[in-house]
Amino acid sequence: MRGKQTAALKKSNAAGIRFKKWLNKNSTAGVIFALPFIIGFILFMIVPMAMSLYYSFCRFEILGAPRFIGFDNYIKMFTDDPEFYQSLSVTFFYALVSVPLRLVFALAVAMILLKGTKLTGFYRAAYYLPSIIGGSVAISILWKRMFAEDGTVNRLLQGIGIDSHYSWLGSTNTAIWVLILLSVWQFGSSMLVFLSALKQIPTTLYEAARVDGAGGVSSFFKITLPLLTPTIFFNLIIQMISGFLAFTQCFIITQGRPMNSTLFYVVYMYQQSFNFYNTGYGAAMAWVMLILISLITLILFKTKKFWVYEGGM
Amino acid sequence: MKKTRWIGALLAASMVLGVTACGSESGQSSTSSQESSQTESTKQEQTAASEQGESSGEAVELTVTWWGSQTRADLTQEALALYEEQNPGITFDGQFLSGSDYWNKLATSAAGHTMADIVQMDKAYIQQYVDNNMLVDLQPYVDSGVIDLSNVDPTVQEFGRVGDGLYAICIGVNAPALLYNKTLLEENGIEIKNYMTMDEFLDVCREVYEKTGYKTNLQYNNGTSFMDYFLRASGETLFGEDGQIGAGKETIEAYFDLYVTGKEEGWLIDPSVFAEVSIGQPEQEPLVYGSSPDRMSWCAFYFSNNMTATVNAAPEGMEIGITTWPSNDIQKSNYLKPAMFFSISVDSEHPDEAAEVINYWTNSVECNEILLGERGVPVASNVAEAITPLMSEAEQTVVSFINDVVTPQCSDVSPASPNGATEVYDVVYKLEEAICYGEMTAAEAADQLLTEGNEILSNKQ
Repeated sequence: MRGKQTAALKKSNAAGIRFKKWLNKNSTAGVIFALPFIIGFILFMIVPMAMSLYYSFCRFEILGAPRFIGFDNYIKMFTDDPEFYQSLSVTFFYALVSVPLRLVFALAVAMILLKGTKLTGFYRAAYYLPSIIGGSVAISILWKRMFAEDGTVNRLLQGIGIDSHYSWLGSTNTAIWVLILLSVWQFGSSMLVFLSALKQIPTTLYEAARVDGAGGVSSFFKITLPLLTPTIFFNLIIQMISGFLAFTQCFIITQGRPMNSTLFYVVYMYQQSFNFYNTGYGAAMAWVMLILISLITLILFKTKKFWVYEGGM
Repeated sequence: MKKTRWIGALLAASMVLGVTACGSESGQSSTSSQESSQTESTKQEQTAASEQGESSGEAVELTVTWWGSQTRADLTQEALALYEEQNPGITFDGQFLSGSDYWNKLATSAAGHTMADIVQMDKAYIQQYVDNNMLVDLQPYVDSGVIDLSNVDPTVQEFGRVGDGLYAICIGVNAPALLYNKTLLEENGIEIKNYMTMDEFLDVCREVYEKTGYKTNLQYNNGTSFMDYFLRASGETLFGEDGQIGAGKETIEAYFDLYVTGKEEGWLIDPSVFAEVSIGQPEQEPLVYGSSPDRMSWCAFYFSNNMTATVNAAPEGMEIGITTWPSNDIQKSNYLKPAMFFSISVDSEHPDEAAEVINYWTNSVECNEILLGERGVPVASNVAEAITPLMSEAEQTVVSFINDVVTPQCSDVSPASPNGATEVYDVVYKLEEAICYGEMTAAEAADQLLTEGNEILSNKQ
């Protein structure tokens, strides 16, 4: 009788010890601490993604229940939807033009701000500001007003003697450039990354180059640029993805007008999902975009070895 | 304790809103009499209501959502605040959006089953909400007398019927109305008469353009009601009863031809104007908003209840006139329609309380003394009569327009828009745009509307 009890006690003790041991393991503690994120990630990322994947194979008119239709949405997208191709080409144009422009601009400003003056700190903050507020609705509305027929831009042009009554947003030639300009203006975050990378380039390299007789231009192309390539690569990937996913500017400023010349992919997806209630179709479009972005990122990574300098300094 | 304090704050906030709303309306002559009659009657109501409130005891918050102008938002918040005053325990959360955003938001909230208790509903959308069981059948409330429709014309009562159920209560009657810049036309000796034919209308467009430089907006990208109105003159409709486009190629082409003519003759407003505004917001309508005559329109294809907002939005010294839309057969084209509805969503936890609010909206004279027909002429005849003397000149013009101009010359409104209608509207918008940018002829546009429209509609069946 007694022996049985002690045996049971021993057993439970052993279990307790094992539990404690398990609890004290590094990996367990790590998992527990990461749990809030993991739960959030599953609930707000994995589950919605799985649902959207399912919806993309359904006819789902948001108000009613989804009905499985196989690949019909995807087939329609590629065979019977000119606006899909239009939005795709607009988005590619936007991303391929605005991202390089923004990077060039960011690098140029970073180079200027590298030279320390008393106001450098202020300038850095001032130039970073647009990328904080630039994606906001208020700025989009401001932009819309600025480029209106009686807006600031035309007033300024009139001020310098050009009698401009041009409707920047009303013309299929210029509307997209208004959006690209807004995007380029938000160069702040790339600029900061460039700034910190520029500071890490040892000054000894420049000194040595100067001794060898290199001027400013050649030391920029021979030293600065090669050593910056990892940073450029990072900025390129990040900005490219956000370029493909641009939404607010187009949604607020142009709504795709005029003549679909500014119809961003994500805006068209939104229209299909929430204006026309073709939510299943919208979900399918989202997955096509995901695949496209993955492909482009993959291709960029494959080109890395040709132009990105990864050696030490 | 905490909860009551919170409700108190909310009440205070909504009252402040009400006060500011009053302030902004102070330009109107009727305000003082309106306010005094309000306070008097609320006192009586308050004593009665506070007893009621104590017995029920439970605090209920109702969400009300609507689309519309700033004027509408101010008036609605004020009317809701009055109801809160009369019914302690009930508070409102009023949410308003512009027309185009409203339907996106409503659809997503419906999909997530978080729709507001009381939703403003439109003839163009009600069908799909009913098809998907999103709205409460209000017939039982009408039968039990919670919603009293005894003073409402039977035709108007039936506006909200879809299939077997009464899913919405019409909260105002309106009719198509051509709002125009009266000051401008009078200064230039151009006369506008009711029941213009298409040719007479086009002559006015040309004359206005020649004399003043002001252009014409043919309801560009703002709904298809003028198109439907135009088609009705020859006995056709945009959406036929068989679930297809209900008009023939010639008639549709004739409609698009208006744009072609206007573009060629120069009196059609440039589409780039609309790239810079929110289409459909009365405050930004080219009739009242714009920097120069060639970026503005002398008229707007609107509905009669938009008169108040348009008059409020008009710059000083611009008088707004109202007349019928042009048609070659006014009797066939013209109609009285439900301006909008109130419905109760199936997501509402307090449908009974919500039904009482709808009753208040329909039958309370005080409530309508605040609203003054901004959503259309009140449906209850006694209410309409009681508030007419309080109305501003513009609002009275609307009432007499409905009664004396539209009612004698109209027919039944076209049936509720089918599933897929929003996508068809978008096709029409794109075609109007293509014509204005010179990318398409009227005949091509008509062909494309028929093929694309019918494809969309049959896919959605």
